[in-house]
Amino acid sequence: MLQVLVSGLAIGAIYGLVGMGYAIVFYVTRVINFAEGQLLMVAVMVAAAIARSGVSPVIAVLGGIGAAVVAGVATYLLAVRPVLAFDRFSFAWLVSTLGVALILENIAAIIWGPTSRPFPTLLAGTSVHIGSATLTLQEVVTIAVAVGLAIVFEVVRTRTLFGKVGMAIAFDPEMASAVGANATLVAIVAFALGGLLAGVGGVMIGPITYANPYLGDNYGIVGFVALMIGGTERPVAAMGGGLLLGVLAEGANHFINTQASDWFPFVVVVAILLLVPEGLFSIGAPLRSLVRSVLKPRTASS
Amino acid sequence: MRNGAVAGGRGRDAVSDAGGLSWRGTGTVAAVVAYLLFAYYVAHGSLYLQSLILVAAIFGILAVSLDLVAGVTGLYSLGHAGLFAIAAYATTILYNDHHWNLFVLLPVSIVGVGLVGLVLGSLSLRVSGLYFAITTFVFTLVVAVVASDFRFTGGFSGLIGPIFPDFPGSLSWAGKSLIWCAMVALLVATLLSLGIRRSPLYAVLLAIRDAEPFAAAAGARTALVKICLFGVSAAMAGAAGWLFSFQGIISPGQFSWSVSVNILVMVILGGMNTTIGPVLGAAFITIFPVQVNINAFWQEVLFGGLFVTVITLYPAGFLGFVYAVGRRASRLVRQLTGRSPQPVSLPVVPEDTGPVEIAAVEAAAREGAEHPEAVPAPPAVADHDGTPAVDCRGIVFAYSKGTPVLNGVDFVVKKATIHGLIGPNGSGKTTLVDLIAGRRRPLRGTIALDGEQFEQAGQPARARHGVMRTFQAAVLVRQLPALDNVAVGLYSRFPRIALRAPFWPVLPSGRRDGRTMRRNAREALDFVGAREWERARVADVPHGVEQLTQLAAACVAGPSTIILDEPLAGLSPKEVEHVAGILVELKTAGVSVILIEHQPRFVFALCDEVTVLNAGEVVATGPAAQVRADARVREVYLGQ
Repeated sequence: MLQVLVSGLAIGAIYGLVGMGYAIVFYVTRVINFAEGQLLMVAVMVAAAIARSGVSPVIAVLGGIGAAVVAGVATYLLAVRPVLAFDRFSFAWLVSTLGVALILENIAAIIWGPTSRPFPTLLAGTSVHIGSATLTLQEVVTIAVAVGLAIVFEVVRTRTLFGKVGMAIAFDPEMASAVGANATLVAIVAFALGGLLAGVGGVMIGPITYANPYLGDNYGIVGFVALMIGGTERPVAAMGGGLLLGVLAEGANHFINTQASDWFPFVVVVAILLLVPEGLFSIGAPLRSLVRSVLKPRTASS
Repeated sequence: MRNGAVAGGRGRDAVSDAGGLSWRGTGTVAAVVAYLLFAYYVAHGSLYLQSLILVAAIFGILAVSLDLVAGVTGLYSLGHAGLFAIAAYATTILYNDHHWNLFVLLPVSIVGVGLVGLVLGSLSLRVSGLYFAITTFVFTLVVAVVASDFRFTGGFSGLIGPIFPDFPGSLSWAGKSLIWCAMVALLVATLLSLGIRRSPLYAVLLAIRDAEPFAAAAGARTALVKICLFGVSAAMAGAAGWLFSFQGIISPGQFSWSVSVNILVMVILGGMNTTIGPVLGAAFITIFPVQVNINAFWQEVLFGGLFVTVITLYPAGFLGFVYAVGRRASRLVRQLTGRSPQPVSLPVVPEDTGPVEIAAVEAAAREGAEHPEAVPAPPAVADHDGTPAVDCRGIVFAYSKGTPVLNGVDFVVKKATIHGLIGPNGSGKTTLVDLIAGRRRPLRGTIALDGEQFEQAGQPARARHGVMRTFQAAVLVRQLPALDNVAVGLYSRFPRIALRAPFWPVLPSGRRDGRTMRRNAREALDFVGAREWERARVADVPHGVEQLTQLAAACVAGPSTIILDEPLAGLSPKEVEHVAGILVELKTAGVSVILIEHQPRFVFALCDEVTVLNAGEVVATGPAAQVRADARVREVYLGQ
């Protein structure tokens, strides 16, 4: 039982990172970057390629994350900004970000081939025992990094001028520009952060999944589901959604059957969309306080 | 097909003469004939061509059905792959395992998926457009998961679909039956969509997309219309799914979420809201990768690059681009031939008027009284039996718990009078008229219209009863001509517009009602003095004309009560005088007018009675002169 919980948190942390990547971009620009999953893939592939050339895994991993950040910013400049400049309320970004996803995925397949390649291990395979459960050091670090990043983002968002400018731009970009905020710069930063979060998620999951150009599809969707469960109101909610989703998926595998994690998350997200369309952790959601009190012991244990 | 679509894409603009219609009709018929010849050619073509065109036609149907919700009402459904999958799987499973007749399964697919669409729509349209997109997206994910993870759907390897029966011997000259079936289905879908675009419902749908309060005030049940339109779109997707099951194997990969996005790409690429654009987009996206036979990965990269470049460089899509070029060309031709329309100012404005005096308003009033016959479709003449037109008692209303916005307001408007409603900002004027027009419901209190209780009735019931309104900030469909906007106001006056819409161009009653509506709308524009703007898109007209168009849309249905929320805001003094004249004419024709206004000079000169609100309570009410003399009014409102 405890094993299910901690393993779920470990995989949920990855979902949460991707979900937060979506959420930060959406929060500032009202755009869902459908290439978010592919940014994770870019980080994994580039890190694997750099590591293959013989440099230290740390540099490889940093290079991978950097590549995801660059790809995120490029997505904004090439595919999103022109669309929003034409009509801020159009949904044309659905198409252009999907186009970017296709480009990234297939260029990766062209460069590195469509099969899986080894990924550098940063942390030796030591195990950590928490009560009766066992986790790899990698998994522990993943959870810690994810939760740490979520907390940092929430603090930056609510406590710093930059975060408040982000809120203002999210609410009304024209008004925010009128009082001197640089909406473009904030949007670039948001996409860069989207890339960063996906990149971190990528290098964390890389040792388990290996480097494969089609990684983005799966993590893109599951991260999106995490966003939907948590709600789009606050980026940190997506992390909550991701952790919850990870535990539920792991639980489904354990208690229903080994394939259940393929469909179980969707049952959850449908229920949530129907019952709490704003997401479980959004401000003012009726179930929020209830869920919060239920979740408290678990978040404490992580 | 092309010709018909070009006309359809421009919207039912003001071209209304019988000549124009028959030209358009001939074009459509010619295009349909050309299309059927093409179908004949394909039905005798190679297997390669047939499979290519079959898939293109199926996606054409899907794109047309998606355009109906995405292009016309702005609902970006990402559920079409899921809807389409349900029909394909249901057809295959019911045929293979339960031996249902294939031609029984077609209506079953259409109705069944239509019902799924209604349920999905009513669940997901509660919050917002983005929520709708997300919920439908998740719906597609769920359908794909069910298809790949359960045994009855054959899992990842999928199922082998039924084989479509060939034509019987006597019809075998026609060629491949499945091609005919798909091509005719695409034609029917396109014509239904074209019918809706040529019907008066089109302007109402665009109003629901761009100016929902306007559509609701005209009596449209906006939520219901949206859900039903999505149901129709889903039913079309059901037909497409039925066809798809004959194409060989069906497997989960064919219905993934990216297929939903692909269908949206087809719509946007071809040109959103252009009837034929989505079909072109579907043909391009399904045929292009097969024809350009390059490395599969490079092909995908090329595809992605295409999505990005088209969307960023020309978001209106291919046909949108063609239309824009066409408009520019025709403008150029008009300029060269010297037929460009003269710039017009508000027609009514006498050149010599200085700042408007109350005397001028009174003169306008007298003038209006002399020409009462100018009012279109005069309502039942006020019988002055003492029943007030509007009788609100003890109205309490609050937006959130706690502070009431209206607190025990009594508000009575006598028949055939102009009743001014004034008060400082935030005093509850607009809220009160929202309650009268049915946009909101009071927490407590009663609202009677001509003696009938209406406080719990919806806006459509009140619009039918004859309550029409305008909004403080003009809300109109900016891409449509003024005439079409005015016709939206007639929605509650003609029966079953929404039900007749898909078949509108071929229904005799549709043609008749269409003519009547255009005539009424033109008369109403004439009445407000904006006749020469009837063909101008609202986006291109000056603010004053926009206000007059709103006024015409409220007058066109022959209302018994008309509510005007600051109709004079932002108008020049001359325009104010003109509007004042119109209000007096309305009153003379027996219409009760409720006027929210801030300029006391006009209110007291124009209105028979005035009610003053302050902080949600009535400060004074009664004949204008009496209210004007009231000490509290002078203090609260006039600042004296």
